[in-house]
Amino acid sequence: MPTLVRKTLRDYRRSLIGWTVGICAFLTLYLSIYPSIAANPDVYGDAALAKYPGALRDLMGGLDDIASGAGYLQTLVYQLFGPLLFIVCAVLLANRAIAVPEGKGTLELTLALPLSRSRIVLERWAAVAVGLLIVTVVSFALVTTMVALVDMNVEVDRVLAAHTGLYLLALLVGTLALAIGAITGRKAVALAASGGVAVASYAIESLAKNVDAISWLRWVSPFRYYADGNPLRLGWPVGDYLILAAAIAVLLFTAVRAFDRRDVGV
Amino acid sequence: MTAVIEAEGLSKFYGRRRGLENLTLTVAAGEVFGYLGPNGAGKTTTIRLLLDVIRPTRGRIRILGKDPRDHRVRARIGYLPGELSLEGTERAREYLEFLAQVRGSGRSQIPVLAERLEADLSVSMGKLSKGNKQKVGLIQAFMHNPDLLVLDEPTSGLDPLVQQEFLAMVREARNAGRTVLMSSHVLAEVEHVSDRVGVVRGGRLVAVEGVAALREKAIRRVEFHFDAPVPPEAFEGLPGVRDLRVEGTAVRCTIDGRPDALIKAAARFTVVHMVSEEPDLEEIFLAYYSEEEDHAYAGA
Repeated sequence: MPTLVRKTLRDYRRSLIGWTVGICAFLTLYLSIYPSIAANPDVYGDAALAKYPGALRDLMGGLDDIASGAGYLQTLVYQLFGPLLFIVCAVLLANRAIAVPEGKGTLELTLALPLSRSRIVLERWAAVAVGLLIVTVVSFALVTTMVALVDMNVEVDRVLAAHTGLYLLALLVGTLALAIGAITGRKAVALAASGGVAVASYAIESLAKNVDAISWLRWVSPFRYYADGNPLRLGWPVGDYLILAAAIAVLLFTAVRAFDRRDVGV
Repeated sequence: MTAVIEAEGLSKFYGRRRGLENLTLTVAAGEVFGYLGPNGAGKTTTIRLLLDVIRPTRGRIRILGKDPRDHRVRARIGYLPGELSLEGTERAREYLEFLAQVRGSGRSQIPVLAERLEADLSVSMGKLSKGNKQKVGLIQAFMHNPDLLVLDEPTSGLDPLVQQEFLAMVREARNAGRTVLMSSHVLAEVEHVSDRVGVVRGGRLVAVEGVAALREKAIRRVEFHFDAPVPPEAFEGLPGVRDLRVEGTAVRCTIDGRPDALIKAAARFTVVHMVSEEPDLEEIFLAYYSEEEDHAYAGA
């Protein structure tokens, strides 16, 4: 592994442990109550939840069929909380790639090393990607274990497909934060812009299905390519995931180009 | 001798604010160059341009014969930033080892330099004291025996003993044929090791001089106390003596250049006490400024 990737991961170690433990604790807590939900279909079944308006149900994370294993997993993990936690984790890590050290002045000595600017961006990004992958792999292992333990009856391959989407979505928003940091050098801008895009994209995906006037926005919204394929029920949305991956590549390329051209720490 | 740093017509503007204007400077191999100026004069701007942290608005730089954009050249440069920022939970030693690994050399020098500067490398970076932080900065700049050392305010935060050790390190580097550019806002910090000094002010290089020549230009404030009142005539009209005030047994003045005539005049009386303030940079600037104004006036 290249030296700067390894060093950056070492810097991320504490956060990575924290996020992994936190996300796993959240998953364990929520997935372990599934049996009591499955046992009370009259309270949590489709008929009982039908009284909520459709748009509200969408915002609340679907509330679709939460008495079934796939429905429960979708609502609790993959609809809102999973993306939320993963995206926040990715954005915070990505912001520490360029913008935060630039603001603190610690980037100065890194730039004085015999490494090209492009390489610094690429290796820092690679550390974000690997770090996020660690969180993804560990939480995937936990979800599959819980699915088996509480008898959710969801295939491992489907969980893998959904978790892959989670990884790609979070890496996309993280790469956006890194790119904005590489372009502007301002962590607040990177944080606000990437967070804003994530929230707007979630809102668009939730509401645009019911509001025709903004339905076209779904096509530029990262959440559409994450959620629309419904991987827990339908398996791998390969095309959508390729689009997410392509968007990551474009943002990374933009970040490299921008960082290579500008003054740092002014 | 080959030039290690060559800057030609180098300008840097931050938006409309001037950082540096039209700097032309050559530093030869094996030279120690003191780069002087008050805060905000353009020293750090120059240094960051050399390291390719920022890019010139106009002008050209060659460093060790290469374009600073060529990242490989930085393996041969040791750089100490003016505002050294070291953070994190990592121990200083681990960080230095990481730098050595990226540069591909210097690891064996870490303990040697740490002992020389009495730096404690077992402390985590975020908890280093100001002095210790500066020592870590110096270790990382010197450890790979770079051909060129670029040191921005290297002595800030160091106690006097460590400063001496640092100056010894600079001399050793020069004796080994390496080149050093170090900035300071105090002449006293660089004059004992520098061969030449450049004075920068308001983004412009106003003078480049040999150290000896600059010292001759320096204004020095001098005070003599005698055992009895002295006649003012004895001190009037001495070459280089200005702002003369004779009050009873005391004589106060500033001298511009050599103190020889004043000393000889004072030697005719019994001196009980003498004060000579080290010339400070501010006053050297004033000397340059008045000179510039004189030229401007003469040209008009």
